[in-house]
Amino acid sequence: MEEVRADGRNGQQLRPLVCTRNLLHRAHGSAQWCQGDTIVLAAVYGPKAGTKKGENPEKASIEVIWKPKTGQIGKTEKQYEMILRRTLQSICILTIHPNTTTSVILQVVSDSGALLPCAINASCAALVDAGIPLKHLAVSVSCGLTQNGSLILDPSKVEEQELQAFVCMAFPNSPVTVLPEASSSKEGEPMEHGIITSTSYGSMSVNDYLCCIEYGRAASAKISEFLRRSLETEHNP
Amino acid sequence: MKGEEISSSAPLNKDLVDKMVVPGDVILDLSKMTNQTIKLGSGLCQDGDTITVIKAGRLRFSKPNKYWIENSQKRYIPSAGDTILGIVADCRPDNFLVDIKGPTLAYLPVLAFEGGTRRNIPKFEVGTLLYVRVVKANTGMNPELSCTDAGGKAAEFGPLKGGYMFESSTGLCRMLLGSPACPVLEALGKRLSFEIAVGFNGRVWVNASSPKTIVAIANALMSSESLSGVQQRILVEKLLQSPALS
Repeated sequence: MEEVRADGRNGQQLRPLVCTRNLLHRAHGSAQWCQGDTIVLAAVYGPKAGTKKGENPEKASIEVIWKPKTGQIGKTEKQYEMILRRTLQSICILTIHPNTTTSVILQVVSDSGALLPCAINASCAALVDAGIPLKHLAVSVSCGLTQNGSLILDPSKVEEQELQAFVCMAFPNSPVTVLPEASSSKEGEPMEHGIITSTSYGSMSVNDYLCCIEYGRAASAKISEFLRRSLETEHNP
Repeated sequence: MKGEEISSSAPLNKDLVDKMVVPGDVILDLSKMTNQTIKLGSGLCQDGDTITVIKAGRLRFSKPNKYWIENSQKRYIPSAGDTILGIVADCRPDNFLVDIKGPTLAYLPVLAFEGGTRRNIPKFEVGTLLYVRVVKANTGMNPELSCTDAGGKAAEFGPLKGGYMFESSTGLCRMLLGSPACPVLEALGKRLSFEIAVGFNGRVWVNASSPKTIVAIANALMSSESLSGVQQRILVEKLLQSPALS
């Protein structure tokens, strides 16, 4: 059942992750997230005074700008901006700085599959770097259904073009708590935390979709562990 | 530091104190405690029966009951009682609008100076650097500043003339303002004479007799954020040995 993919991974392995923070001198927070060859650079500016017209002045507002590697800005970029904006709005605590705007600018450095999850991870790390108050972190992973019915995590660009369907999911991170219930979960079993965002392309059956979510949740525990370790190393200006 | 008082009791759980935590971590469970008052500083908030972390950083605890998150950012969140460096952005009839690197501009009333009356309002141009004190900083309102201390005296507040101002992170400024004096300032102070003003909002102003000294001091301070005490002293030694300064 488990077949070896083109780059030697099995169905549930992720590509190597690299996260660097505080790269940009002028941005208030910045992070670069690499998943294999997909690299996205996120910069956060804010909170700055004032909101746009039509925004609720009792809450902070988040503005996302997506800059593709080449080409003009079109519908896909606007769609990514909207998905990212709604994901980030649900992890930020918007009532702490009312009537302010936080801008998140994403630059695609290279795209080799799983672009949206990489962008969500990069913007979450950049928000932490800027000190924006967050309810919890968001970790994101994508899972696809191949032509012969097996599910693979973190597809590369070549694999993505041959998928029947794929789902990009964002989960809250696994927290370290001092509550007693936390210690009773078994090693390796991800806790039920809920899901923040799920965007799917192509059509798949309900069972396959639920399977994708499970695989994604298991992978999100590993990514969240990686993110925690990378945030723990003190940053050097 | 702002305090939120919650009644609880029983021994506090200190597992996560002095460790790095990320947003979403729960550090205290209040349902187990009765009849204790806990004070929360920046980076923590109460979520029903638990205290959760909202900013990543190191969790600190100070006896008997204060918890806070220590982190370093490029922006400043104003809190009452801090002394900061602001830049005048606009002049209004009643207030100066001052940029303090925070979420909103701050107001400095024109009468908030020692002996300030309607007849001797200071004339600050846009871009003047001021050393001020934060009087009020409530969420949703613009912070209020003052150029006098709590007793109404001038006490070194006011415009800073000459010198050079550079921006850095809040963590570096807290290190420079800590007591006992941080090693880099001590080492520089032994050999050079200079004047320095450090704001909690990430701005530092340096003035000395010659530009070379100012540049050397600014470079030393900017590079010392992530260095330990010994490394800071070595950095200052190397800097002062360079022929340009002697």
